Order: sequence, then C-alpha cells, then structure tokens
Amino acid sequence: MLPNPFTPAFLTQLETLRLRTRKEFLGSHPGSYSSPRRGTSLEFADYRRYSPGDDLRYLDWGIYARTDRLYVKIFREEVDLFAYVFIDASASMGFPSREAKFFPASHVALALCYVILANHDHVKLHLLQDESRASPFYRGRRRMTDCVSFATAAMPGGALDLAASLNDHLQRLRRPGKAILISDFLMPAAAYQKGLNLLRSFNLDIAAIQVLARQEVEPSFPNGSLVLVDSESQREITYRWNGNARRDYQARLAHHNLELKSFCHQSGIHYSLYVNDRDLSDFIFATLPAIGLFK
Amino acid sequence: MELLNPAALFGLLALPLLLLPYLIRRKPQRMIFSSLLLLLEAGDQASRRPWGKVHLPWIFFLQLLLLALLIFALSEPVFSVRPTSIAIVLDNSASMQTLEDGKTRFALAQEKARSVIAELAITGKIDLYLTTPRLEKLGATPLSPADAASAIGALDAFDLVEPPTDFDHVLNQMAREHKYERVYLLTDHPARGQSAVARVISIGQPKANLTVSGFDVQRSSLINTRLDATVAVTNFSNQDEKIRVAIKSSGNTAIASRELLVSAGKTAMTTFEGIADHPYYQAEIEARDALMLDNRRFAVAPLSLNLRILGISPRPKELASLKAIPGVQIDIIAPSEYEKADRSGYDLEIFHFATPAALPGNAALFVLPPQSSSLVDLTAPASNISVSNWREPHRLTRYVNFSLFRLTYARALKPQTPGEIIIESANGPLAFAVERQGLRYLTLGFDPLPYLGRENLPMSIFTLNFLDWFLASGVGSQATGEPIALGAIQPGDLITTPKGEKLSLKAGYNNFSGTFQQGIYQRSRGNQREWSARNLQDANESDLRAPTPIELHGSAASVAVTSVLFSFWPYLLIASLVLMLIEWFVNPRMAGWGVLSKRLGFGQPS
Repeated sequence: MLPNPFTPAFLTQLETLRLRTRKEFLGSHPGSYSSPRRGTSLEFADYRRYSPGDDLRYLDWGIYARTDRLYVKIFREEVDLFAYVFIDASASMGFPSREAKFFPASHVALALCYVILANHDHVKLHLLQDESRASPFYRGRRRMTDCVSFATAAMPGGALDLAASLNDHLQRLRRPGKAILISDFLMPAAAYQKGLNLLRSFNLDIAAIQVLARQEVEPSFPNGSLVLVDSESQREITYRWNGNARRDYQARLAHHNLELKSFCHQSGIHYSLYVNDRDLSDFIFATLPAIGLFK
Repeated sequence: MELLNPAALFGLLALPLLLLPYLIRRKPQRMIFSSLLLLLEAGDQASRRPWGKVHLPWIFFLQLLLLALLIFALSEPVFSVRPTSIAIVLDNSASMQTLEDGKTRFALAQEKARSVIAELAITGKIDLYLTTPRLEKLGATPLSPADAASAIGALDAFDLVEPPTDFDHVLNQMAREHKYERVYLLTDHPARGQSAVARVISIGQPKANLTVSGFDVQRSSLINTRLDATVAVTNFSNQDEKIRVAIKSSGNTAIASRELLVSAGKTAMTTFEGIADHPYYQAEIEARDALMLDNRRFAVAPLSLNLRILGISPRPKELASLKAIPGVQIDIIAPSEYEKADRSGYDLEIFHFATPAALPGNAALFVLPPQSSSLVDLTAPASNISVSNWREPHRLTRYVNFSLFRLTYARALKPQTPGEIIIESANGPLAFAVERQGLRYLTLGFDPLPYLGRENLPMSIFTLNFLDWFLASGVGSQATGEPIALGAIQPGDLITTPKGEKLSLKAGYNNFSGTFQQGIYQRSRGNQREWSARNLQDANESDLRAPTPIELHGSAASVAVTSVLFSFWPYLLIASLVLMLIEWFVNPRMAGWGVLSKRLGFGQPS
C-alpha cells in the first residue's frame, strides 16, 4: 500500500524523471547512465586505429577516404545506476512526531526510489540509526512496495553519529553510485561534514536533502520558563522562551542551514531543504530538478 | 479627598504577596525538542532552587496597578467640598463625663467640634444639637462658626441617661429636613459604617467602672422607727474589687462605712442598719475610676411614721378597717364629695369602688374601679380567681403566701399605659403599678379590704406591703430627668438645685423638670423644707466596657440632600476592569495560550 502522496498521477509524473549523475559509474547492466567504459551506445566517444578483429561496422569511412587510414569509432557504454538512499532515522527525525517529520522524509526517499526503479536502476535504502539497517538492492517498479515496507517500518530513535553510521554502511558497499542523504542535519557542522566527506571518499555522487519540521523552523513554545529536552541525548536545559529567544533561534538555524548549504556547494553536493508542510510534488518536480538532481 | 472606608487600605499590605508567584520559580514546563544544538548557547542549566532569579514581566506591574486600584476603590475615596451648612450633635449624656487622660469625654468632644467648625467655610452656618434630655436644637437660628465655637464652649454634660435613639435614621432625617450638607455626631459610642452625610466621631476608649447602683434609706417596716440604708455596688470590670462604702449625712459627715468585696461583673449589696435620722443621705464609694459621677448616690429620708390617707369609697366601713394599723390616719369621704374635698396634706388617696375624673395629684390606690381610667381598662367580673403569677422580688409581694391568697371576686385589668404588672391571674393582671412624675399609682382588680389582721394573713400582709410601698413613694432615689411634683405653689417658693442655684417657682407649674444634675433638690417654702433626690440610675450608662455601637448605613442619606462628596471610586472600579481586560488580552496564560499552543501541536510535553 503506497502512502497518500503516491497517487497514480504522481507516480506517472515521477516516471518522467531520471536521476542525474555528475560522475560515471560502472554499471552491471546496460542502462541509461554513462559509464567510463566504451560501449555500444549511440553517444560517440573517440576514435581508435583499426586493429584486426574490430567490428567493421564502426569503421569511419569518411576518415579513410580523406587520410587513407582506418579508424573505428568508439561509443560510450551506457549502464544502469546503483543508488543508495540514506535516511536519517535518529530520534530527532521523530520530532514533533514520526508522522510529521520522518514520514515526509521517507516520502521524499520513496519518490526518489520510484524514479530510480522506474528507470530499471538499482536502489538500496539505508537507515541511519544506532543499529545499521539496509535493504537489499531493489530493481524494477514492482519492488516499490518493498521499498515502502522497509521505509515505513522504520521507527526513528536513538542518537546518531552520522560519520560512524555512514561508515558502517559504506563498508558493505561494493559499487559506487549515487548517494542521497536525507536528514535534518541538526548536528554540529563538524559531524555532518565528516559524514559527507566520508561519502565523497567513496567516490559517490552525493545529494543532501535536509528535512525539517515547521515546528523546528518556527518554534512556538509557550512564553516563560521551559525545560527543553534533547530528543537524542536527553540533555535538559532551562530556557526562558519569548519573542527574542524565538528570533535568536531562527537566526541560528538560518546560519546553520547556510553553513550546510555552503559546504555542500563547495563539495559538489546537491543540497536542498524540505520543510514538512510543503507539497511533496512541488518539491520533487520543482526544487529537485532546479538543483540538478534530475535530468 | 476622604476615604469612607479607610480600613480597606490595610489591603495594600497584602500587595507584596503578588510577588510570591514571581519569586517562587514555577516548575517549568518540560518539553522535548528535536535538537538543542541551536539553543545550548543561549540557555542556562536547569536549577532546582525554589527561589530563582526575580523576573518581573511588565504584566506584573499591570497586575500591581490593578490590585492597588481595586483596594483604593474599596476604600471608597471621595472628593470633599467645604460644606456650608452643617449640624453638630453633641452627646451630653452622663457617660460623657468619663475622664480620658485627665479630660472628660465631653471636653474632648467640644474640642473636636471646634476643629470640625474650623474646617467649615467662613460663611458656613451651624446648628447645634444636644442628645439629652432629648435630641433638641440649641437656638432657633443657625450660628456662625465663631458663635457656634463659643456656644459649644459654654455647654456642659448632664447627669442624664441618653434616650434610646436610632441615630442612623434621626441624623439622616435631620439632614433631609434641614438640608444639612453634613451632620456630625460626637459621642462616646463607636460607629459602624459611614454615610455620605452623617458622620460619627467617636471619643473615648472602653473602661472599667464601679458604680453605686442602688441606694435606699427606709424604715425597717411600716410601724418601725429604725432606719436602714441599703447600698448596692456594681463592678463593671474584669477583676474583683474591694472598696469602702460610706454613708454620709446631709451635712456631708460620714455616719457609717464599711468595706465591700464586689466580684467582677457582679453587684454586691450591703445594709447599714439603724442609721441616724437626717433629711437626706449620700452613699459614696472610694473608687478612683473614670466616671466619678456614679460613685455616689443620694436618698431622702422616708416620711414621718404616720401615713395620712384620704379614702373615697361608697363603703366606708371596709376602708375604716385600715385604722387598725398603727401609724395610719384615714379620712373617708363619699365619691361625690371628692371634687370639693381639700386633698392637700394626704400621703395617699384610696379609691375604693370609685374612679376619679383625672389622676390625682397624690399617690393613689384604685380598688376595683367601677370605670375604666387612663391607667387600666376593665374586664368582666369573675369569681374564684386564683393567682397564677406575681412579680418577685418586689416590695408589694414580699412575705405574701400566694397559695393562700383567696379571691372570691375579682376583675382582670387591661393596662392602658406602660407600667408593672405585679399580680396576674389566668384571666389577666390583677395588680398593676404605675409610677408617673414621682407619684405611685396602684390599681387592684380585687378588694384587699377589710383589713382583718391575722384572720386573713396573706391579704393583710399584702395590705401592709402596699401601704409600705406608698410610704416609700417619693423618698427613694429617682432617676435624673424625672420631674419633681410641686403641688400648690405659693409666692416665694424656691427650689435649690444640687449646684446651689436658687430658682423661684412660679404659680401654674405642677412640676419642676430641670432635674438634669444628680443630687438633692431642696424646695423651700418659708421655713419649710422638702428634699428630693435624683440619681443617675442606668447600668448601661455606667457600664463603660462596651458601649453600644451606632450603625450607620447612609442609604437614605443622599436622598434630597446636596452631598458635598464626589465619589470617584466607581471610576476606579471601571479603570480596574479595563486593566483586567487588557491583562486578559495580553497575558498569554490568561488568554489560554497554553491550551491553544497544545491544540496546534507546538512542543510536546514530556
């Protein structure tokens, strides 16, 4: 059973999209993504001197006529894509509730999965938690329900060390490909930078999607003294909440997001912010193509 | 500006309590947030101390202002304008002679009255009133402030009991009728409540007091020559007192004295037997209390042993039986001769089956009057009536065995005037006593005559009792203010007051009513002298411990009276309500913001 946003119309629209990669990866099957290997696609890559055994169909007769030398045309190989969708399933993704933040994040992930599956590419879902959990590779539209089952079964909880958790998952990766990290990135800059750099070191084409709840962007606690408890570390602070405190928090969040965006930009990572009350299709079909995630 | 209810200002003392909710750190609401990363730098560590840093939001000052306004409004502030027409009512009753730090309450009241006058506009008009002997205005025309001040200085307190007065009603009525802007009552009674027009200025504090509450000099019996003086002393204090009681003669010489122990709140009596014969006597206690006036009483010696009786009866034989009593002289006439008879020189008139046209000028006994009088009405006769109740102790009923009191014929009486019912039957009163202007009248619904001596002992004892009672009439102590019956006045007749003033009596007056001072009043006619004693005889006036408070409501005062007070407390109340509304709108807690935020899902309480 697909979640609510995944209507037939929405799925039809998703089928029109295709992930864009800025790197070439070795695929396992013919597909629609460029491979560093030469192959039989229609996309011309280079010339090479003819050597016996080469397929005569690729001889460039025009060059032979002008230079009296035999050259064969070499084409790029187009292969399928291996995509890894990392979903932050720490406790902070359960604020203010699982339905309000983790579900929107998983809907984004599932939409991307469907795009990948519809292109007969491979996708694997990773849950970033204390205990690393990952799905097998899925391929083909019919595996969409498996993706949904895997994602919706997850319960956000526990504290997250992004780099450690990613490292745990990456140790088991054998093929480079597209990595999409979905998280709230509410962690120190050093922590997310370490994690993203780890992904980069695995030669992955990375996209970072930051998911925040509206209550995190514009907190509306009752004025007065509050004891705020960190959902992950359970640390408590006493805070006198008022208009000034609200403005101060929002400025800090804006600065934090800007720092993340800047890092992503410098590191060649697609970055986008998704706030849970935003329309999913609008985000998928307007924002993500704009940052170059789709072709 | 004045406060009609200044006691409400004590509420201001409670204002600091408003700080408590702000001083005591409320247990903060505990909420889970996704990450405190961005809040850590600004937040402070949770403290478990009950008293935290004082954080006074501006709403606190709004609440402070709101409460202060409410309390101020409760104190009923009014702007006052200088009145131009006032009345000053001075309580000049006997209790105002009580000393307060060396000055009498009346003197203090005079000072207060002068200070009230000083606040008056120069063109103001003042009416002065005294409360005793009755609430009455002094002078016909209003006085200027200067004249009123000097008139107040000339006043003095009387030795009179204050008549019962509903001051709330009376003062407001005065204000209405005479258009007074304010009416001041200066009294030693405390006041409860205030009204816009009537003001009570209370003077003096509760005090302990000892009083000579009774003093009688009487013959031991009708036929005895021995004089006995009985003194009663009441202790209006919380501790027992041992005091010396002295009897003084008319020459102010002590003729007997003894010590008497009076328990707290009780009355003790002592009898001095066989005192020497003097025209009048004075009983005095040696007590240094606040009210000296009631530390002594006066009494006149009883009349001579012989009792002269004028009998008016259609049955002279029965009346004549009284001659058997030693000391009784009786002249009997028929009822038709009464109007023409010379009635002077008689101590008692007995109307036996007769009714006079008007009350006689002597003490009188009415035995089965055939017609109704101003004293009693008559019911149908009945036979074999038995006595069901009688007044006891009373001089008329002492030693009478009423179980042996047989009445073969009687008529129950219907009293038509205030008096004492002495004997009662199931049908109604049988003996009704009235004391009017110093004269005693007794009406009997049965016939005690003839006097049979030992043959009808209960009735004979009763007969001796009423003769004794009439004999004591006018010689015992009477209350100040009670007039002195003058009888026939001849030229040159004088009356000397206790202060030594000699007043010549004019023909045409039956009574001398200026008995406002306690003491002996001496009537002189040539070489003849007659004495009358007047005493302060009211326990309430002598009991200075808890005077009855005066209740003022003032609801009727403002009707038809030009008030000099502008009440602005309603405006304060409105301002308080506006402030309350503002607070209701701006205070998130009061506006239910917490509920609203919860409904919107902001923050998750743990």
